[in-house]
Amino acid sequence: MNALFEIFISGLFSGSLYAMMAVGLALIWTTIGVFNFGQGIFATLAAYLTWQLVDAAGFELPLFVSIVLALAVMAVIGWLFQLALVRPFIGQPGIVLTVVITTLAAFTILENITLLLWGPRPKQLPPLIPGNAEVLGFGIAAHQLAIIVITPLILLAVWLFLNRTRTGLALRAVSQNEDASLLAGLNVPMMYALAFALSAVLAGLAGVFFGGLKFMSPTMGTEPLVKALVVVIFGGIANLTGPILAAYLIAFFEAAATYFIGFYWTPALLFLVLIVTLMVRPEGLLTGRSRRLT
Amino acid sequence: MTDGAEKRGGRAVLPAWMPLQGRELAAMAAGALLLVLLPLVITDTYTRHLIILVFIYAIVASSWDLSLGYAGIFNFGHLALFAIGLYSYALATKFGGVNGWAAIPLAGLMAMIAAAIVTVPILRLKGIYIILVTFAFSQLVLQLVVSQSDWTGGTLGMTGVPSLKLPGHNFIRDGKIGYYYTALVLLGANILFLRIFVRSPLGLSIVALRDNEEYAVSRGISLARQRLLTMVASAMFTGMAGGLYGAYVRNASIEAFGIGLLTLILSMVLLGGTATIYGSLLAGFVLVFLDEVMIDLGAWRPITIALLIILVMLVYPGGLFGGLRALAGRLMRKERT
Amino acid sequence: MTGAAAGTPTLEVTGLVSGYGRVTILHGIGLAMPAGHNIGLFGPNGHGKTTLLRTISGLLRAGSGKISFLGQDITNRKPREIVALGLIHVAQGNQIFPDLTIQEALRLGAYTPRSRAREAENQERVYRIFPRLKERRRQQIRTLSGGERQMASIGVGLMGDPKALILDEPTLGLAPRIKEELGDAIRGISEAGMPLIVVEQDVEFLMELADQLYMINHGEVAAQIRPGEQIDHEEIMAMYFGTSAAGGPPSRGTL
Repeated sequence: MNALFEIFISGLFSGSLYAMMAVGLALIWTTIGVFNFGQGIFATLAAYLTWQLVDAAGFELPLFVSIVLALAVMAVIGWLFQLALVRPFIGQPGIVLTVVITTLAAFTILENITLLLWGPRPKQLPPLIPGNAEVLGFGIAAHQLAIIVITPLILLAVWLFLNRTRTGLALRAVSQNEDASLLAGLNVPMMYALAFALSAVLAGLAGVFFGGLKFMSPTMGTEPLVKALVVVIFGGIANLTGPILAAYLIAFFEAAATYFIGFYWTPALLFLVLIVTLMVRPEGLLTGRSRRLT
Repeated sequence: MTDGAEKRGGRAVLPAWMPLQGRELAAMAAGALLLVLLPLVITDTYTRHLIILVFIYAIVASSWDLSLGYAGIFNFGHLALFAIGLYSYALATKFGGVNGWAAIPLAGLMAMIAAAIVTVPILRLKGIYIILVTFAFSQLVLQLVVSQSDWTGGTLGMTGVPSLKLPGHNFIRDGKIGYYYTALVLLGANILFLRIFVRSPLGLSIVALRDNEEYAVSRGISLARQRLLTMVASAMFTGMAGGLYGAYVRNASIEAFGIGLLTLILSMVLLGGTATIYGSLLAGFVLVFLDEVMIDLGAWRPITIALLIILVMLVYPGGLFGGLRALAGRLMRKERT
Repeated sequence: MTGAAAGTPTLEVTGLVSGYGRVTILHGIGLAMPAGHNIGLFGPNGHGKTTLLRTISGLLRAGSGKISFLGQDITNRKPREIVALGLIHVAQGNQIFPDLTIQEALRLGAYTPRSRAREAENQERVYRIFPRLKERRRQQIRTLSGGERQMASIGVGLMGDPKALILDEPTLGLAPRIKEELGDAIRGISEAGMPLIVVEQDVEFLMELADQLYMINHGEVAAQIRPGEQIDHEEIMAMYFGTSAAGGPPSRGTL
């Protein structure tokens, strides 16, 4: 029973992180139509920036303030990303592949800069809430519990932003028809920037959450990115609900598989399931080729 | 279509089935001769080492160009094929006692099998999904390798991988001559293979699919079959290059899966211009030497290469060598379909 | 804020060259829309009508030439600036925002600060002109019929508080009954004082709206019908298919 609970919690926790990463990817895909391979590095940078502000002599700011500051920086970096790596190629036919390449290159650059600035030794962030808690008679790190509870709220906030605010409405409009958005007077480049900034903040949150529980290293961004890829392959990238659902499902699957068949074989099983799923639905997991932000 | 020697403009030309014709053949022969004679001039083993790397990476890059440039398949798992070849060679020779010369083709075969496996899910997918699946594939193969650390040494990798052997010739103490020529021969075979492939009906149909999928499909070209064949074809020499690399450096590490190597090879493909064959080779020389010049720069090395990639994409989406090729095209017959 | 003296043409285009990449579609086209008049554009497909509109509204770059709206130069300005100045282009086809509800789309239409200030009254106006939209306002645009989607497109345009409205083939592909309904609505908009630039295949429809028509052929103005000129059906056909009887160069070839 304890094992089941652990699997459940582990799944919820990882699922939260995957969901935030995947939603970020979906945001960019639906509004701009490109895939941001640099998504993982936003997580890494946010974690390290927070660490820097919290831990390093001369700063030592409270955790919450550090997180907010780090996320603010991430928003700016996200904006810079789209400015340098995406905007120049808008209108070009091969933009999807081009942006994959440029964002992948940026990922490498930033990962190595992280390595240069902070060194390879793993670090850790203080947890959001220290200590342990008890749920249904089982012990759980309070930080984990906090993340599990907070993430759905964050995702809800994103949903509310998209569906109940004028700016969110604008983002959705851009994802559905860019020309009509231009003709309605929308500032479309600003929407791109917003999508990237928001995406970076979400990924940054994932990084910060992760760093509070597990060790951070400069290369920590690759794994969440790969997992987010698997999530969007399963859950689609054409809207937000698909990836979120897929994120939790895959996290549960992963947690269960790791428990039952071990760390060795879980990746293989995951990929096998992926192959089989794609064989059953060879058109990919999109219903139609549209990309919309609903 | 004639299949004997044709007469053109009063001059007899080579039979049409020969993959290289006229001026290109001459240039190829001259280049080959140059490379064969090069070790006579370059006796410094370090430089020879770099050139061997160029040859090996050029094989990987030009094969990647087959799926990426010619077929337009956004294949991001190509480096995993190289790594699979590498580890196959290492495992086969170290634990299986297989002779190095047999293990290299075996490495190619393993890579081809892996390519077939990864192609199955992407048979009919659209561009972005192919990127995702192939990239995820390469990462997952990495995880598999790491997890089977009993055999593969995990993150530490494998050492003591046997080198190639010939009776009477020691590959390890010969100033790298043996590996130089082996790599050169493999590269030559690769180029020949690519030229034949690209000119074959299969190769032409692949480009047709890339340029206008609906039309090609309506003419009876099977998208799934061509994709499968292309991916497998691109894997063959890549895997063998991986095997040769293993024999050469005599160890296997997960660096072969790393983003560092990916960006290096990718930049070779991009700099060389997609859908060219020689471009990767030329770009390879530039980049490998550039990379080694920066070897003391530590983490700045991948940063510089990555910056270079971004710059190339910004300035010259068609590949830096696209412009040079226009010039070179007057020396060689144009080979881009 | 108008700044346009009475008598300033609403829209003036001179020597406009534009196209897509290396393909030039407009070869120095020119037209003028006098204040207080509507203009209509017609002509064979693919000959530049939509290209002209897209260049006017800023979606396409003009290679050379000048466009001015209410006396202000809007050549190559950003689409959102042109919208803010009050020239609103309702594009061809009615695929606007498939997953937004009518209500949401209308709200989106009032994006610029000036239109936002008048959002409530403009929304009322749209619902008055198109009662169907009011009925279906919570429905997603994707679920509407072709005619209703067209109404929604025009509604979104009106929410931008335009000083002039460009309609690109508003009745294309619609059944006669809905076409009539839409036509009445458009006429109502015009009569309420909104200057209109309308592109239509149906020349008679155009003539009921505008007394100045331009025929666009091969990216140029091939013929022009000025206010007060009478023109009959045969002459229009002649313009389309053969030598022009109403003046202007003969069209170069058939459809």
